[in-house]
Amino acid sequence: MNEILGIVIAAFISWFNFVLIDTWMGLPEAPGVKGADVIGRSVKARGGDLAGGFFQGNIVCSPDASAGTLLASIACYAIGTPEGGLIAAVLVYFGNRLCADPGYAGTTGALSITIIIFLTSFIGFKPEYFIVGMVLAILTIQGLYHPWASRLLGKIAHKMGRHTKLT
Amino acid sequence: MLIEILGIIVVLMALRTLVAQNRSERLLYLNVIGFSMSAIICLYIQTPFGAIIAITFFVTSTLSSNAIAYSLGRVKEEIMVK
Repeated sequence: MNEILGIVIAAFISWFNFVLIDTWMGLPEAPGVKGADVIGRSVKARGGDLAGGFFQGNIVCSPDASAGTLLASIACYAIGTPEGGLIAAVLVYFGNRLCADPGYAGTTGALSITIIIFLTSFIGFKPEYFIVGMVLAILTIQGLYHPWASRLLGKIAHKMGRHTKLT
Repeated sequence: MLIEILGIIVVLMALRTLVAQNRSERLLYLNVIGFSMSAIICLYIQTPFGAIIAITFFVTSTLSSNAIAYSLGRVKEEIMVK
């Protein structure tokens, strides 16, 4: 398979994987740790959405499904496809506990991307496409323009009924 | 080619970090650098221990971001060096 095309498709898959799991686990609803609150309000002050800001702050402050997706791809690439993802899920769980987070979003993201990598390996996707794809996906959320990204995340949270009740 | 793409992302984010307005905005760009660096570590050291190094680097960089964001919340006014 063409490498560039594979990376772009893997980026889309990783984006939906971590955004949907994180929203479903309630990242936009409330700041899980105190630092996420500061980052969310700073994004709102720059013209963004508060729920999207909490989402971005929670990603920075604790290894959530985004980290689970990246680390499971890394472990699948270097250790081996099904077993690497399980090792990554355990390490992400430790990281979550160190950050005083419940730790279900990270492990769920790691396990789901392991299943996706295993299934897509039959049609020619390699784990390294998902590593680069996940970095591109996090670039669109955290690196381009925070107000737009947070408004998009806020809309997704609103559709899934997970928009924040805080003001 | 994969490492080159990640390298370009790191350089772009480093430049954006320099022109960012405040510290909490800077933390978001640094988070992207953390993602890219652990990906580069793994793609460069292609062994199982390379994966463990990359995962440990990422989790510890998240821990330090957590601590920095927490202390930003406690320091209300940014103290700038004149």
